[in-house]
Amino acid sequence: MTANPSPARPAAPRLSRAARGVAPLFGNTHRAVLAAAVAAGIAAFAVALARGEAARAWQAYLVNLLFFLGIAQGGVVVAAAFYLTQARWAGTAAFRLAEAFSGFLPLGFVLFWGLYFGRTLIFPWVLHPVAQKAAWLNTPFLFARDGAGLLAMTLLSAWLVRVSRSSQARAWAAASSDIEMPPPAIRRLATVLALAFAAVYSLIAFDLVMSLAPAWHSTLFGAYFFAAAFLSAVAAMALTAVILRGRLGPANAFAAPKVLHDLGKLVFAFSVFWIYLLFAQYIVIWYGDIPVETFFIVQRVYYAPWAPLSYAAVILIWVAPFLVLLGARPKRTPVILGAVAAGVLAGIWLERYVLVVPSLSQHAVPFGWIELLITLGFLGGFVLCAIPGLNLAASAARAELAAETH
Amino acid sequence: MSGAIEIIATFAAEEQCVGGIEALRAARAENFRVFSPIPSEHIEKAIGRGRSPVRAFVLTGGILGVLTGLAITIGTSWEWNLVAGGKPIISWPPFIIICFELMILFGGIAAVASFLLNAQVPALESAPGYSARFCGDRFGVAVRCDETEAQKVESILGVAGAEEVRREQAQPSATLPNGHDG
Repeated sequence: MTANPSPARPAAPRLSRAARGVAPLFGNTHRAVLAAAVAAGIAAFAVALARGEAARAWQAYLVNLLFFLGIAQGGVVVAAAFYLTQARWAGTAAFRLAEAFSGFLPLGFVLFWGLYFGRTLIFPWVLHPVAQKAAWLNTPFLFARDGAGLLAMTLLSAWLVRVSRSSQARAWAAASSDIEMPPPAIRRLATVLALAFAAVYSLIAFDLVMSLAPAWHSTLFGAYFFAAAFLSAVAAMALTAVILRGRLGPANAFAAPKVLHDLGKLVFAFSVFWIYLLFAQYIVIWYGDIPVETFFIVQRVYYAPWAPLSYAAVILIWVAPFLVLLGARPKRTPVILGAVAAGVLAGIWLERYVLVVPSLSQHAVPFGWIELLITLGFLGGFVLCAIPGLNLAASAARAELAAETH
Repeated sequence: MSGAIEIIATFAAEEQCVGGIEALRAARAENFRVFSPIPSEHIEKAIGRGRSPVRAFVLTGGILGVLTGLAITIGTSWEWNLVAGGKPIISWPPFIIICFELMILFGGIAAVASFLLNAQVPALESAPGYSARFCGDRFGVAVRCDETEAQKVESILGVAGAEEVRREQAQPSATLPNGHDG
């Protein structure tokens, strides 16, 4: 894969040397370590099933599936949003970075079908059907509609990433001086993808999270869920940019403070958007004070053991980023931005955990080696799938700077 | 400053105006006012003025707004103890909205008011050296200096590319703070 961002500059020897002459950032050693993490996750899952801890294993499976699928899909939607807003502030490197996680989407789609085997332990309505909602909450329909939705998202995302990596799109992203719109095919596809993301991930939120407490509903929950997925992708991009910046040495696009500043602004903005959507739901439920709506909140916000975890998630996702990233300098300081982004990711994982698990385990917090190793396995699988994309992002970041200094 | 005169230079292009300002500052002729038909960050940078003081007013306004919101909500709840839906008299969730909105309101009003105050808008009298062309298609730099420095200033502005440089007798009462008008 050449990282030459523009066919109009074929004779830039420094550019092509920078793109060709450097080995991929992540190689076989990294793959071996990540594969070991995946193996540990699979082993922990199998041992948990064998030892009668199947419920915990499936809960951890669902939490991690929602979390990592959210980052992977959110990343592609960030790339689509960049095209729709003509965001070329980091050239091709920002697009490659946003798309890097999309490699997990096919695996995530396959893992979604794994839920079928744990359905009796995950969805309370499988063994105890809710008569009024049986037409919607039944196994064949749920897996058919969510499966179709995720398949559509996976294919649309693969299509967008493919078009986005074409020479035409790269030339557009690298040329920040003109005011041309992105290629028409991308503009149409990005619009469809963004709308489909809102629809499908609302559906995923309703089916895979809200239905775990079948009596509860909140209309805004779908939007809240996919906005958090978008935020998790933005935070993952910021963290990855900080890591790549360190590993690539001084000559790369992510070493530019303005690029980190812009990523910091995105983390800040969507963190505020997240708390807005959370509060918008909370205030309506608080005012109405109807038991069928409040029980979901009361359990998570007012009583141990879940209340401290909920507050921790709010601190990590909103309080810390808001206070720390308010100024320009912290956003431009890699260590601070990286730490805040890592905190946001940990917070969103915790938030997914607090959304899912209390519905299934009301009085105890099931957290131990099973959850840790399954999470490690998912993380390993996620990064393993993202490695080709990360290598592309790294070479784009190098080439970007070479092009700038040429 | 007895015997002071004003030298008014007219520039056709922003870059020349910026060059003129930089040359004036390099020659330590800091008593000037700039007229621009457009908001220009290059000119602001060349003038070397620090960050706008408006931000401090906005922060103060915002904090005052939050405090006002707390005072209104908590005060009225204490004054009229209406129990609604079994909730506590001092119930925070809806107060957050009032505080947030008053923060925006007070911060916004502080922003507009402090902008008008700091920019001295509306200007009831034209600033010394002002010409209607500086609201059209020309940039202007009015420098106040002594007779002895006049020739040097004129030469600096001429070299920077001013299309016209003229002298006027300075108004005794008029001061020329280092500023940027348009």
